[in-house]
Amino acid sequence: MATNRWLATGNFFTTYKEEQRIFLTNIDRLCLWLLIAALYAWPFFVETSNKGMLVLDNILIAMVAILGLNLVTGFAGLISIGHAAFVGVGAYTTALIASGLGTDHVFLTHAWPLVIIISGLVGAVFGGIVGLPALRLKHLYLAIATLSFQMIFQWVINFSKLFNQGQTMSVGRVFWLTGKIGRKDHYLFWYFAVLTIVVISGFLVRNLLRTRYGRCLVAVRDNDRAADAMGMHPGFTKVYAFALAGFFAGIAGSLHCYLYRGAGIESFTLHQSISYLAMAIVGGLGTLSGSFFGPAAIRLLDLGVENLSSWATNFLPSTMNIATALRPLTFGLVIVLFLMFEPRGIANWWRIIKSYFKLWPFKY
Amino acid sequence: MNKLTVSDVTLTFGGLNALTSVNMTIEPGLITSIIGPNGAGKTSMLNCVSGFYHPTSGEIHYGEHRLTHSSPHEISILGIARAFQNLELFRGLSVLDNLLLARHKHLDYSFLSAFFYTPKTSRIEAENRAFVEDIIDFMELEPYRKQLVGNLSYGVQKRVEVARALTLGPELLLLDEPMAGMNIEEKEDIVRFIMDIKQERNTTVVLVEHDLGVVMDISDQIYVLDFGELIGSGTPEAVSKNERVIEAYIGEE
Repeated sequence: MATNRWLATGNFFTTYKEEQRIFLTNIDRLCLWLLIAALYAWPFFVETSNKGMLVLDNILIAMVAILGLNLVTGFAGLISIGHAAFVGVGAYTTALIASGLGTDHVFLTHAWPLVIIISGLVGAVFGGIVGLPALRLKHLYLAIATLSFQMIFQWVINFSKLFNQGQTMSVGRVFWLTGKIGRKDHYLFWYFAVLTIVVISGFLVRNLLRTRYGRCLVAVRDNDRAADAMGMHPGFTKVYAFALAGFFAGIAGSLHCYLYRGAGIESFTLHQSISYLAMAIVGGLGTLSGSFFGPAAIRLLDLGVENLSSWATNFLPSTMNIATALRPLTFGLVIVLFLMFEPRGIANWWRIIKSYFKLWPFKY
Repeated sequence: MNKLTVSDVTLTFGGLNALTSVNMTIEPGLITSIIGPNGAGKTSMLNCVSGFYHPTSGEIHYGEHRLTHSSPHEISILGIARAFQNLELFRGLSVLDNLLLARHKHLDYSFLSAFFYTPKTSRIEAENRAFVEDIIDFMELEPYRKQLVGNLSYGVQKRVEVARALTLGPELLLLDEPMAGMNIEEKEDIVRFIMDIKQERNTTVVLVEHDLGVVMDISDQIYVLDFGELIGSGTPEAVSKNERVIEAYIGEE
C-alpha cells in the first residue's frame, strides 16, 4: 500500500529510518520552510525602522540563549539562575578579543562567524566549570550554585580593569560580501545573520534531541538513579548539559556584543537571568518550539506594555508612577498566570492546535 | 558468560548489619533466586551487586572484574542489568524512549555526528531501534509502544521495567521482585518471560521474589537470607527441607 506522505492519517512507517524523520508529514516540512522563507523575505518588501529591527534582533538573540537554557533547565531539569552570566561570558569573550586585537582588527570584522563560535566554546567551558557542583548537588542547592556564578561574574566584571569595570567595551563594525556594514544596514544585516544562526541551531538541537546525547538529558531529569543503572554517568551528563547551555548562551552573548557594538554589564545581570527563565517557562520548558515562542512572547509583551504605559502617562498622575510600575507588574503577572494555568507554556497551545490538524480530515 | 561470586560481603548501616558475611556463587545460565522474610537483606544484596551500595567488607567479582567499588554505570557496561523493585522508569517518556535510553552505551557515534545527524548516526539509531523492537516483541509490549510510561497500569509498568533491563543486552539480569503486587495472570506472564529470558536469550537470571510457589517452580538454585545472614542454599528441594529455612518462614514449634 502506498503511504500518503502529506497527511498524518494513513501515513505509516515501513522502515526505522523513516521513523527518525523530523517532520511527520510533508505538510509540516513545507509549512516550516515557507515560514523560514517568509522570515527571510519580508524585510525586502516592508520598510522597517531601525528601532523595530532592533526589537526583532533582540528576540532572535534571546531565542539562541533560550535554546541553551531550555536544554539545561527544560530537558535536563537543572534550574540555572545564572544564564545571563553565561551570555555575558560570550559577550565579554568577543569584547576581550576586540580590546586585545583592536576594535577594528580584521579577525573581528571579517572572521566574525569564527569569533561567534569561539565565544560559544568559551561559554561552554564556563558552563562546564559552573556545572561541576552538579556532580554532588541537586535541585535548589544546584540552583544556588548557579546563582553564585551570576554574582561572581557581575563582581568580576564590575571591579576589574580588564573589563572596563562594567562600562561599555566597544567592538567595530563587521564586513560582509558587500563591504562594511554601515549604520543604516546594521540592524537589518544582523537580523539576517541571527536568523540564520537561530535556524541552524534549532535544527542542531532537534538533531541532538533524537540521539543519545539528547535522550540522556531527559533521563537524568526524570530519574537519575535509573539513568545510572542504564550506563550513564548522571553527574557528567549534568555537567555536559551545563556546557551545552553555556555554548548557546555564549553564541547569544557574542551576537549581542556585535549587535550593540559593545558589551556592558547591565545586559547580563541577575534581572536578565530571571527574565530568561521567564521566557523559558512561558514558552514551555522541555519543548523545542517553546524556545522560540517564549522570547517572542515576553519581548513583545514588554514592548506592548511600554507603549501602553507611555500612553497611560497622558492621563494618569505622574506623581504616582503607576505608568512606570506597569511593566514589572505585567511581567510578574504573566509568569504567575502561566505557572497557574498553563505550566507547559505556549508550546502546549501549539501542540493542541497541531493535534487538531493531525487527524484532519477525520473527526477522530 | 561469567560467574558472579560474592565472597564474605558485609554491609553495615550505622550499627545495623544489613548483610553479614554472605557468600554466594551465581552460576551462568541458571535462574538463581534469593528469598527471605521482609528485611532479610535481599534488595541490599542486589544493590551491592549493581553498585548502588558498596559492601563494608568483602568482595564481589564478576568473572575477572572486581565490582566491589564500581558505580552502577560501570557495572552496567559489564553486562549486568537490573530491574528495580519500586518502579524507577522515566515516567515522562514513552515506552519506546525508555527502552532506547537503555541502548545508551551501544550507540557509539560521536557528539558531533549526533549534532549534524550524519548517515552513520542514522544507521546506528535504526539498528538499535530494531533491537528495541525485538525486545518489545519479546515482552509483548506492542500496544503500549508510543504511550507515556506514567499513564500505564502497574502491571505493564513492571513489564516495561524488566524490558528496559533486558534492552541493555545483559548477560546477567537482576530482577528485584518483578511480580510484587500483580494478579495471577500477570504473574504467569512474568514467569513465562523469565523462563524465556533464560532459554531463548541465554541470560543468567537472579530473582528476588516473595512468592515461594513461583520461586520453587522455576529456580535452579536458591539462596535464603534472614536478618542479613545466609541460612540456606541449594536446589529447591534441598532448601524446602532445610530446617533453618522452615524455622525462618514458619517459626519454631
